[in-house]
Amino acid sequence: MLKGVASLVSRVRKLDPGHLRLGTQAPQSLAAQLDNQVSFESPRAISCTNENDPAKHEEKHEGLHYNLPLQDVKTVFPHGLPPRYAMQMKTFNEACLMVRKPALELLHYLKNTNFAHPAIRYVLYGEKGTGKTLSLCHIIHFCAKQDWLILHIPDAHLWVKNCRDLLQSTYNKQRFDQPLEASVWLKNFKTTNERFLSQIKIQEKYVWNKRESIEKGSSLGEVVEQGITRVRNATDAVGIVLKELKRQSSLGIFRLLVAVDGVNALWGRTTLKREDKSPIAPEELALIHNLRKMVRNDWNGGAIVLTLSQTGSLFKPRNACLPQELLGKVANYSPKEFESCIQYYMENSWLQHEKAHTEEGKKELLFLSNGNPGQLERLCAYL
Amino acid sequence: MAAPLVKALLRCSDLTLGVRSAALRFPGLTQVRWSRYSAEFRDPLIDKEYYRKPLAELTEEEKFDRELKKTQPIKAAPSAHTSSVFEDPVISKFINMMMKGGNKVLARSLMTQTLEAVKRKQFEKFHAAASEEQANIERNPYTIFHQALKNCEPVIGLAPILKGGRFYQVPVPLSDRRRRFLAMKWMITECREKKHRRMLMPEKLSKELLEAFHNQGPVVKRKHDLHKMAEANRALAHYRWW
Repeated sequence: MLKGVASLVSRVRKLDPGHLRLGTQAPQSLAAQLDNQVSFESPRAISCTNENDPAKHEEKHEGLHYNLPLQDVKTVFPHGLPPRYAMQMKTFNEACLMVRKPALELLHYLKNTNFAHPAIRYVLYGEKGTGKTLSLCHIIHFCAKQDWLILHIPDAHLWVKNCRDLLQSTYNKQRFDQPLEASVWLKNFKTTNERFLSQIKIQEKYVWNKRESIEKGSSLGEVVEQGITRVRNATDAVGIVLKELKRQSSLGIFRLLVAVDGVNALWGRTTLKREDKSPIAPEELALIHNLRKMVRNDWNGGAIVLTLSQTGSLFKPRNACLPQELLGKVANYSPKEFESCIQYYMENSWLQHEKAHTEEGKKELLFLSNGNPGQLERLCAYL
Repeated sequence: MAAPLVKALLRCSDLTLGVRSAALRFPGLTQVRWSRYSAEFRDPLIDKEYYRKPLAELTEEEKFDRELKKTQPIKAAPSAHTSSVFEDPVISKFINMMMKGGNKVLARSLMTQTLEAVKRKQFEKFHAAASEEQANIERNPYTIFHQALKNCEPVIGLAPILKGGRFYQVPVPLSDRRRRFLAMKWMITECREKKHRRMLMPEKLSKELLEAFHNQGPVVKRKHDLHKMAEANRALAHYRWW
């Protein structure tokens, strides 16, 4: 698996030396700007900012929370948010994301992408609980606002483990289909990208079975509908969607963002077995095969953002998965970010314990969580 | 750190088993629980502020206390007893009572999940309520927990007294400690036994705590039943001799 990632990384290096150089210079400039403190306009502004458009997020907004309108959340993230964050959203009745350095860096690159070049791949990595998935959600929100077409796979690990029904693929005898996961994903894809589905037309004829086929020139929406209604053909529908999107994004009608969470699942092992108890390699799953083709950057007109995830990964020890590249390392909270997070919790009255408001309490929280956002969230949940 | 302490114990309290202080001895009652520490061992004091005071600020008694501590042996502090600001002796006791088979990690995580569940439920009620009622809704899970346990404590208890060959249930005053213990015990047994097979402990416990906070629910009912029994057996009160 590490070999695969290393080859990914080396491919990125070969193709985009320009961006790498920018990557090494950018942290220094960002570090200089970090010294400017944010002015204290009102109590709410200590941790929250009014700038709700991710396109306008600058370095001075770093460490502050911005509000995501709940309508947007329902359309853009039907399946993308981590479960604890979704619970928090439900309790507070609002969705607030913190603006952090890796996300800002990525936004900067995405704003300056040259769409004639092949798609650049970005990897977000870091230890468990540091905020990779939420940074990915920040990026997706930005791209949704900019009207890109979003291809978001919330957790690739869900596709390689605990699958109840595996069918042999009709398209290719060696591969296996996963109807449930494919249909669920198609439903969510439809919610996110409603307006694109009628605009994009497919350019080839596909035959589902003897009686049904899709003609050339019909819209992508029909393919998705077919996949949702006919669960048996859902995986093939997904394959068609991916293939068409890849082909057509080079034409420039729309821009494509491929966001995959837990990309290490694509190259690892699976827990699935055939009927004779022999294990299946990920290449033999049709969904994974198509996704891998998507992630290879032989198309242009968009970007690929990937996140490594240790939480769902199979057969790997706890401290695994560190690519050699420094771009996009999501670290624990800095003191300023920690303060901002605590302020946000206090504003929403989430920290109810009397001692939590004192200096001693804050120091203790910092010590117990070590600045890890995930741990801090779990600690504050019962305090 | 444990090894030299054990060796010290074996040296000084060789064959004498440590007993509880004499104040707790009742006539006719034998000590059931004993500890490996002998009588001169003092309890540990875990308090950051006490130890951080510089020498100049100490009063005469405190200076005497410090000198005395240098010579007297002190028992080892249990690992669950921390100097954290967030620690609560009531919650620690409850966690110990919930623990089964020494699995403190599980008991503690169940407790934290319960507190979180209580907090979330209260927040939902808070957001759903109108602004006049929002001031009345309590969102601090710790105050809810303490108030709920206080509401479950019985005021008077029953003891079986043997007189004339028969056991009579006699109403008897209870000490503070016994009352707290009964409240916690009833809460835990209620949550363990009377729940649906698939319902998890934090969910059930949070529901019971919220009901007890409002003086409703099965645990408070059990307390009232005990009070009624005591009231019914009022005539037997003179069987008590202490």
